[in-house]
Amino acid sequence: MSEFLIYVVAGLVTGSLYGLAGMGLVLTYKTSGIFNFAHGAVATIAAFCFYTLYVTLGWPWPIALVLCVLGLGVLLGVLLERLGRTLASVSPAMQIVATVGLLIAVNGLTVTVFGAESRSVPPFLPVDNLSLGGLNVGVDQVIVFLIALSSAVGLFLFFRTTTLGLSMQAVVDDPALLSMGGTSPVRVRLISWVIGASFACLSGVLLVPTVGLDATILTLLVVQAFGAGAVGLFSSLPLTYAGGLLIGVLAALSTAYTGSVSFLAGLPSAVPFLVLFAVLLFAPKRRLVEVGGQLRLLAKAPPSFSPPTKAVVGGLSLVVLVALPVLVGAKLPIFTNGVIFVIIFLSLHLLVRTSGQVSLAHASFAAVGAAGFSHLAVDAGLPWLLAVLGAGLVTVPVGALVAVPAIRLSGLYLAVATLGFGILIERLLFGTSLMFGAALSLPAPRPEVLGLDSDRGYYYVVLALTLVMAGLATFVIRGRLGRMLRAMSDSPTALSTLGAGVNSMRVLVFCISAFMAGIAGALFAGLTQSVGAVGFSFFASLTWLTILVISGAPFRYAPLPTAVLGGINIAVLPSYLTDERLLSLLPAVFGVAAVANALLTDRDTSRAPSQEERDAPAVLGGQGGRRAAARRRSPVTARMAVPAPPSPAARDLTGARL
Amino acid sequence: MLELRAVDAGYGDTTVLRGVDLVVPDGAVVALLGANGAGKTTLLRTASGLLNPTSGSVLVDGADASRWPPHRLAKAGVGHVPEGRGVFRSLTLRQNLRLQAVSVTVEEAIERAVGAFPVLGERLDQVAGTMSGGQQQMLALARGYVENPRYLLLDEVSMGLAPIIVDEIFAFLAVLAQEGTGLLLVEQYVTRALELADLVYVLNRGEVAFAGEPSELDSAELFEQYLGVTV
Repeated sequence: MSEFLIYVVAGLVTGSLYGLAGMGLVLTYKTSGIFNFAHGAVATIAAFCFYTLYVTLGWPWPIALVLCVLGLGVLLGVLLERLGRTLASVSPAMQIVATVGLLIAVNGLTVTVFGAESRSVPPFLPVDNLSLGGLNVGVDQVIVFLIALSSAVGLFLFFRTTTLGLSMQAVVDDPALLSMGGTSPVRVRLISWVIGASFACLSGVLLVPTVGLDATILTLLVVQAFGAGAVGLFSSLPLTYAGGLLIGVLAALSTAYTGSVSFLAGLPSAVPFLVLFAVLLFAPKRRLVEVGGQLRLLAKAPPSFSPPTKAVVGGLSLVVLVALPVLVGAKLPIFTNGVIFVIIFLSLHLLVRTSGQVSLAHASFAAVGAAGFSHLAVDAGLPWLLAVLGAGLVTVPVGALVAVPAIRLSGLYLAVATLGFGILIERLLFGTSLMFGAALSLPAPRPEVLGLDSDRGYYYVVLALTLVMAGLATFVIRGRLGRMLRAMSDSPTALSTLGAGVNSMRVLVFCISAFMAGIAGALFAGLTQSVGAVGFSFFASLTWLTILVISGAPFRYAPLPTAVLGGINIAVLPSYLTDERLLSLLPAVFGVAAVANALLTDRDTSRAPSQEERDAPAVLGGQGGRRAAARRRSPVTARMAVPAPPSPAARDLTGARL
Repeated sequence: MLELRAVDAGYGDTTVLRGVDLVVPDGAVVALLGANGAGKTTLLRTASGLLNPTSGSVLVDGADASRWPPHRLAKAGVGHVPEGRGVFRSLTLRQNLRLQAVSVTVEEAIERAVGAFPVLGERLDQVAGTMSGGQQQMLALARGYVENPRYLLLDEVSMGLAPIIVDEIFAFLAVLAQEGTGLLLVEQYVTRALELADLVYVLNRGEVAFAGEPSELDSAELFEQYLGVTV
């Protein structure tokens, strides 16, 4: 019994910090419409600054704490507000890319500066034991819990009783109206970003003595914050705090009681996402209001290059690809890897660019394909090609499963749900016999005929299969399905009034995309000839998304060039960077490039009046412009004498039989 | 005096207002008429700072307010009751009024609002989004009224309301005008608006087609402006 209570107490302490982080996340999301995937990265920055000041420089901890929470909170809050204001008029998909890019950049930079290894931080709070009703509790635990609780209560009271707090609720409703009433929405948002960032910093610094100083773990504080926020349906602050406590306690208890069962070893770290996933799947849809969800990415038809250009560029590329083994010598496996990534990026392109659905579980698809391939080829003894095909097919139901939230949710919540799904698979299934087994390693063969198992032979096998997949992707994207998918990302309502089954299309595109990712996974497995969880973490999913965006930008997202550049960026580029430091900076560079790309492109100029964005950022910053634009659409656009040009998707549809 | 001088404004590449000159003298009622798409709402949005003019200027008592954000114009006495329902739907009536009360206390704001529309007094703790359209519009007008602005821009405040409510709203507008608030009135009930108005402007495709006193306005000519054809 007392052991049970000890776990509950430990859970309440960490849980209260999750709750704090969650409250910060929900507050900024609600007031600005920007869902900050980099919320945990803010905590990381604070924790590393604290480490530097307190441990490295030996400053007294109270000074370090105040500087890292209030000082950094203000600084990062101001920066995030600027970022959020600029992101207000880009599509939700690009908003996700921007904050995911920020997460990757911060994580990459911290790893570059401080190294990837985890460091322990000496406890700075007194660790004496205190007897509370017969239970021994650490003084530090009590202090942390009380700090978190009082911050939470303080924020709640501020939100409920002050006029500024009221403005934070009002800015969600209608920023323009707030402005017309004499309150600047920008100021209101700025304050909420500062509060949100400070809360993240506080939870980061207070977590460090417990979890150690580890960039990845701290960055993933956002995971716990997501779970906590989900309990509050991303809108209620007290429920978010309660959700944090719940997740902390559940995780602590599951550590206590599943420790001996290897099958459940991944459960504690999966708790926040079980909660998140359950909420997103079962909460009433009308309660999951997406702030500023009106703005959609205008799906553009892929650019068409002239047939001669295509023939020349395509022919040359093919010649280079065929001759590659002669050209690169011993580096060939790296290029094989890059060619496989072409399949990954094509499948991701299909989901993210063509149908406008952000998937953050793509690495899980590839992992399922890789594991399935090994089981089929080694355990079941299927012929190699059949096993590859089978690997694609076993991934299809997984894709369909992820599509379940896609039917209910769109935009942001879909992305969050897929992230949750990917982490669940990673934490709960990777280590089981269904996937990679407890050793996290499976044998994977190459085809054994005609010398195809040599590096050079396998390269040609991969190249051939990639060409087939490219054909499939091109067929889908350029064909009727692609037109309908673009129309769906433009306006699902309009498409369903034309008689198309939007839900079945959502499932279909996830299935096709998962199939391709599964095949790619099988090919990865054959390349290394032994396959494990490495390279398939959800972090890979995030990185792939940012690289897709960076690589697509120079080509206006034409699928094939995008995928090829993506393969080069992720697989080939690192192997030609000989400088260690530069190499370790690469993820950060990718992250920053993704943020920059999101800031610079895809502005929805047809709806949000760019005049306001240029001239009056101080007025309709944040999603004010967007909301105002949405409201204005009927009165103004409809009344304007100038006919709006038909959107590309609409033009496409006129030629489509539905 | 609230003044628009040679204002061009629009959205993105689309120019909506072209060279608009318009004056709202202190305490005067100005009716702004025009067909759908003439640019009436855009003009109000420009006057209250929601939209910045691409050229020309907005002047409040001679001060150039062209680049002012709306909250600054609001503090300078330019109120705007936007098209639709200008209330915070998720907040209660009391909270709505509290947000509006910048220079007056919350109690004074509530007193003024209830004085104007007694029905609001029975519903102070109701969430605005759950009230009827007429009540929401009364709240929106009350919000515009509590700070006692010098100029109030009213965008189709009678739209979609029952005739009896429309009567009540026009009675309120008459009181506002008597109290000396300058009104810039975009209204679908043209005749009623003209009864109140001291000045009238007619917009046609973003340009001022007529400016003068209501008595000078030829109804046949107005009709022509609305339909774009000669009768």
